[in-house]
Amino acid sequence: MGEITLTKIKKSFGAVDVLKDIDLDIKDGEFIVFVGPSGCGKSTLLRTIAGLEKVTGGEIEIDGKRVNEVSAADRGLAMVFQSYALYPHMSVRQNLAFGLENSNMPKAEVAERITEAARMLEIEAYLERRPGQLSGGQRQRVAIGRAIVRRPTAFLLDEPLSNLDAELRVSTRAELAALHARLGSTMIYVTHDQVEAMTLAHRIVVMRAGKIEQVGTPLDLYNTPANRFVAGFIGAPHMNFLAGEVAELETGTATLTTAGGHRLLVPFSGHSLSVGDKLTIGIRPQHITLANDPGSLKVKVRLVEALGSETVIHADLNGEKLLAVVPGQKLISPGEEAHLSVAGAPLHLFDRNGLRVKGS
Amino acid sequence: MSTTSLTDRLGSLLMAPVHLLMRIIDIPLRAVQKAAGIGGMAAVFLAPNMLIFGIFVLLPLVINFVYSMTGGTAFFISERNFVGAEQYQRLFTCTNYLDPMSCQEDAFWTAVGNTFWFVVLQVTLMIGVSLITALILNRDLAARSFWRAVFFFPVLLSPVVVGLIWKWILQRQGLLNFGLYQFGIEPYTWLTDRNWTFIATIGVSIWAHMGLYTLILLAGLQAIPKDLYEAAEMDGTKPERVFRRITLPLLAPNLLVVVVLALIKAVQIFDEVYVLTGGGPGTSTLYLTQYIYETGFASTLRNPGLAAAASILMGLVLVVLTLIQLGVGQRSEKKGKR
Repeated sequence: MGEITLTKIKKSFGAVDVLKDIDLDIKDGEFIVFVGPSGCGKSTLLRTIAGLEKVTGGEIEIDGKRVNEVSAADRGLAMVFQSYALYPHMSVRQNLAFGLENSNMPKAEVAERITEAARMLEIEAYLERRPGQLSGGQRQRVAIGRAIVRRPTAFLLDEPLSNLDAELRVSTRAELAALHARLGSTMIYVTHDQVEAMTLAHRIVVMRAGKIEQVGTPLDLYNTPANRFVAGFIGAPHMNFLAGEVAELETGTATLTTAGGHRLLVPFSGHSLSVGDKLTIGIRPQHITLANDPGSLKVKVRLVEALGSETVIHADLNGEKLLAVVPGQKLISPGEEAHLSVAGAPLHLFDRNGLRVKGS
Repeated sequence: MSTTSLTDRLGSLLMAPVHLLMRIIDIPLRAVQKAAGIGGMAAVFLAPNMLIFGIFVLLPLVINFVYSMTGGTAFFISERNFVGAEQYQRLFTCTNYLDPMSCQEDAFWTAVGNTFWFVVLQVTLMIGVSLITALILNRDLAARSFWRAVFFFPVLLSPVVVGLIWKWILQRQGLLNFGLYQFGIEPYTWLTDRNWTFIATIGVSIWAHMGLYTLILLAGLQAIPKDLYEAAEMDGTKPERVFRRITLPLLAPNLLVVVVLALIKAVQIFDEVYVLTGGGPGTSTLYLTQYIYETGFASTLRNPGLAAAASILMGLVLVVLTLIQLGVGQRSEKKGKR
């Protein structure tokens, strides 16, 4: 079992409130990713779950039992640190055994667990080496191995891939996903990399300034971000935001005008808009195409990034920045004028407070 | 714009004497380089330093060695007669090597014995006290910087001041007896009791020097990543095991440096003890350096040759200790590179 329930978790360091009323239910076997910009409180939240930080308020329950006062060691969790935190003076084997020896586990069982974890992570060949003699990727495996041998209720991973180079990060990410599938344990993973979040998570928890902005599956967050922050944070490159105003409302459709006077039609079935309302219109760069259809946006091209399989166009639309990612290779140069079409693109509408407009 | 040009002008004005000096030096140095070649310039630049080292370190060492081969009370080497290894022989003439009193130069062996016990006890206690202090100062104490300064402060004092402060505290009408008297305890003559004086010299020298060793150990403790302790906490490691299996092994390089430095410093003990006890009562706190000083300069029957021989022997001990330190340093450096 590995169900973790957080109720109204608060954490303050002096006068600074780092976590503000965090509520979250994590199901057994779930892969949850905490994502958010630096300083949003995601690592602190992980550390409070681990028991390395005491909460200022609220309750943490693991499998239905309140653990606020339970020490880190007795919560049955294992943590993989960003720095790996391997003991540099011990061999890999000793590193793996260290935690197990604390509980006076019989030597035979310690050896068996190490062999099993080493086989799973393919680190058998360097069990007798010290961490200083291993590469970053190997150290990372040992750090995960140290968590695995404890057979914890849940794994807590604090930016475990951030010290690896880009290529290794991609392969290790896939291995982590495979490992989770194999172990079936609950995993809570902290990262500021939204690609890691999208590829690994069952559910993503987007945090900002000590609060949860949205919890949902990766595609939920991508398709229906709850607010402008989530919309901007999830998806790469970032979503475009244009200032707009409601011009007309008809059954099932709203007509919006942009600052430059362009008219955009949006499917809309709610009641929360009225004519004249100011809005922010969110458009993902991948949903913009190069076309000269009626109603297309006339832009000035500022920068073109030809990536081979796609072309990233940085453009200027009446003083507002617009980014488009179009498939294939386009012969277009900075300084030129171009027509970008958003016809058929899902448009995201956010009200003055940055919240998603209901019915859009 | 005008301010920039003003600062520029000010800058070039300040640099003018430097440029002038460089131009003046340039002429003879070019000539020297022509004569010595590029490779020889290293020797030219090293020469002033080597000259100072030669005059103030190497030369006295040689002179000292020559002195140890001569006899008489005269100070000028030209007035001294060559006696070969006689001074060394004198130092080592004993009927029973386990009893200093049976030796011809009993004071030397008493001083050696005293120094040996002083070094063993002082270094052991020093390491223990410094380590405990460093561990405490490494915690989240209130006014931590203040406490660090408090423990380091005695290091800044001159040894003579240290000796005088503690004499003022420990003498018959000193601060300690005054304090004890307030609690109805009879004053005691701390500085005339053989055992207490020995303990006092150990205590005072620890007080005077522990700040430096505490600082070295504290730096070592702070270099241990916090993550390691958190990982151990997640594993439910008991504090005693954390100290034994994580703190101590990771502090080992610093500890070894501290041990060797403390050893060398303890063998050389002199000034604060000389001011505090003068080596007494009797010869109970007579240490090797004081023996050398008194034999060579202070006693009425001064014997510079004998003092030189004793200091050569002490120098050998220090060389051995320094070699150990170098070895330790290289080993920990290699470990760090791995």
